This record gives sequence, C-alpha cells and structure tokens, in this order.
Amino acid sequence: MEDSRIIDLFLERSEQAIGELGKKYGALVTKTAVNILHDPQDAEECANDTWLAVWNSIPPHRPDPLAAYVCRIARNLAISRYRANTAAKRDAGFELVLDELAEVVPSGVDLEKELEARELLAAVERFLAMLDRDDRVLFVRRYWFADSVKELAAASHSRESRISARLFRLRGKLRNYLKKEGLLV
Amino acid sequence: MNRDGFFRLLSDLDDRLIEEAIRCAPEEASGAPERIVKMKKKRIITLVLAAALILALGVTAWATGFFSMLTRRPDPDETFRITWYDGPGGYVEWTDAKLAVTFPETAVSKEIQFRPGWLPEEMASMDRDNWRWRFTAEMLAGQGVYQDMSQPLQIQAYAMSQFNNGGALLLLYYRPDAISEDHWDEQGVDVLCFHGVNHLDAEPAFNVPERDLQQNFVVLANEEAGWVVTLSGEISLEDMMKVARNLEIRETGKMLSYGDFEDHYAFFDGGIG
Repeated sequence: MEDSRIIDLFLERSEQAIGELGKKYGALVTKTAVNILHDPQDAEECANDTWLAVWNSIPPHRPDPLAAYVCRIARNLAISRYRANTAAKRDAGFELVLDELAEVVPSGVDLEKELEARELLAAVERFLAMLDRDDRVLFVRRYWFADSVKELAAASHSRESRISARLFRLRGKLRNYLKKEGLLV
Repeated sequence: MNRDGFFRLLSDLDDRLIEEAIRCAPEEASGAPERIVKMKKKRIITLVLAAALILALGVTAWATGFFSMLTRRPDPDETFRITWYDGPGGYVEWTDAKLAVTFPETAVSKEIQFRPGWLPEEMASMDRDNWRWRFTAEMLAGQGVYQDMSQPLQIQAYAMSQFNNGGALLLLYYRPDAISEDHWDEQGVDVLCFHGVNHLDAEPAFNVPERDLQQNFVVLANEEAGWVVTLSGEISLEDMMKVARNLEIRETGKMLSYGDFEDHYAFFDGGIG
C-alpha cells in the first residue's frame, strides 16, 4: 500500500492503519530495534511501542517520508530501552558502534545546549552531503541503523576488513571536518 | 558530550539521508518487484556492453602488442558489469565512469610488494621501511600543508590476473585531462600519467556548494610480470612522479591466478581499499 494511503488510514483513525504499517515497515522497524537491543523480545516490544507512538502522533503529523519517520521513532525508543537495560543485558555489538563514535565525539560541544547540538548536527549533515553516495550510505547504515560490519560487508560484496578500514577512514574524515568547523578541540 | 548522546543526536539526521540508506539496505534492494524488473532490463544491456567491450578492446587491442594499457572514455550512460562470483547477483555494476583502463589478459601474475624509496618531506612521519601492497597518507589529510586535502597520496598494487575474467578494468570517476604515456626502462614498466577532476553538484539543502575534487594519477604496468601499481592523490604530479620513479618493488616468488582472489575487481577510485 502507498505511504499516502496508510497515512490516510491513520487520519481516519482506522485500526487497519497499524496493520498496513506493520506489513510494510515491520521488518525494517524490528531490524532497527534489534540492531540496538540485540534481543528479539525487546525488539518486538519496541516495534509495538513504535506503532502506538505513530498512532498517537498522526494526526496531527502527516509525515513525509513515512519510512524515515517510523524508523526514527523506533530508534529513539530502542535507545531509551537500551539505557534502561542492565549492563548485563547490553550487547557488545552495539557497544562497539558507540565506541567507534566515541572517536569523533566533539569535546567542545555541550549537547544539553540546544543551539550547540543543532550546530553539530548541521555540521554532520554537511559532512555527509560532501561524501559520495556509497560512503554516505555506509556511514548512516553503521551509525544510524547500527548495522554490523558483517552485514555491511555482505551487502556490498566486500570483506569485513575493508568495511572496517573504510569506516575508520570516514571517522577520521569526520573528525578532521569537525575540527575545521571549530567543534572539536 | 558522551558517545551515547552523540548517537542519540544522530536520530535527528535529515530524512533524506535516512531514506537513502533505507533504499540501499540489502533487504530493500532485493524485495521490491519494481526493482527486479529494472535489474532484468539492465542485465541485458550490460551483457551486450560487456560483449562489445571484449570485441572492441579485448581482442584487437592486445593483438597490436604495443603499449600495455588501453584507455577509453566511456559513454555517459555506459554500464560496466564486473563479475563477482557465478550466480544471480554475483556481479556489480558501475555507471558514469569517466575513464576505463584495460590490461592484457594475463592468466597468472607475479605477486609483488613495494616500499617508497622517496616521499615528500611532509610525509617524513610515514613508515617507509616495511614492504606492503597498499600505502595511504590519508591520516595526514587536514593537517599542515595537507590542510585542504582529503587524500594526499595512495599507492596500491594489483595483479592483472585478479580481474581479467571480469573485464580487466580499472575504472575512474575523475575526468582526465590529457593522458601521457611513457615507458621506464629501469623499472620495465609502461606508465600512464594524468590529472583528473571529479565534479560534484551542489547540495543546497546542506549548504554545500558545487565543487571540483582534483587528483593526480600515475599507473605503472609490467605486462611481462602481470602486475599494476597505481598512485593517486592530491600532491603535485611532479612529486607523485618522483614517488613512482623511486618505488622499490620486489617479487615475493608467489604466482597469483584468478582463483587466488576473493574479489575480482579493482578500482583506483571506487572507495575500496
């Protein structure tokens, strides 16, 4: 079903909307959650929370594109759930993604200050816009969707070592870019 | 700010970046019927192109036996299909290449390693003692005299036998200026040398202007031994030629055939390294 029709169903408050949304984006949302939580049951609950959140937000919202909107909600819910989990339940795979990001965490930015956070986000978007498409997608798949290096290697018919090397170089480039922008001391 | 906060902040990335990554996800790429139809059409076109390429270049060019590298500027809509492995989906397709370089069909190549005998003084901190297949000065980018560069110098070794069965190509996305051909007796290599420009459109939504990326390229090919060494980067062509002329190259004694490689294509501008 077309996204616009699914949104119409939400606007009409038809319960069919959730079924259609799940049919179209269920796998994507569950994958987004499972990459962070690494627990099928937690991911399933996170997906259900996502449908509810979408139900509660449309209307008034009429998101376009719908896929990014739904994935963003799932990602945020998964992050909150991950933070609430005990250390024992946290997965080494996602910890690795966070550790990689730690290499480029700007020391000069206070995320609590909305303006500084917005400036940092805009700088990251400018950086991504300057990359070629393959590198941009690789970065977003790894640091937004938290895909594993193994999955990324399989998707691009490449070796894991090569993907790791490309990610390493991308982090280095981002670090240099943020430095130039005055966001990294 | 901590790493968790940074990861969380990325949730607010622009929708278009997320959508693009969703479209390119493996599960999406194979699932939609509409896309499968397009792929089928494309497959026929590329098969025809591959056949034409073999006829036009593969046979006639090598029969002449002169210069060991053949360069060609592909048509804008030409698609290159490079075999990855046998079976559905076992290939990659590249479009919009600005230059294709083909090499003699070599069944086996002598494996080589190299080390730089000379580097610009700004690269003094780089290790030049170890023998290697790949060298990159990328970690120096954005610093000192390389402040405005993203890749000062990269050197890579390939075997011609590595990609012969898939088309024997190096593809370049930089549009080359005049290409010069040479032969260096002391190293026994044919040499290609040129400057290239990669034009990138503006991204107004992100306040990124239209821009040109520029790199110099030197390609060394030893037809008899079956190896290729590429140098690319933003240092001056003069310096790059000096690096190339002073490369120490040694054979490891191992012979490499097509089956020795996990992947059978190589691009010096494909982001693969």
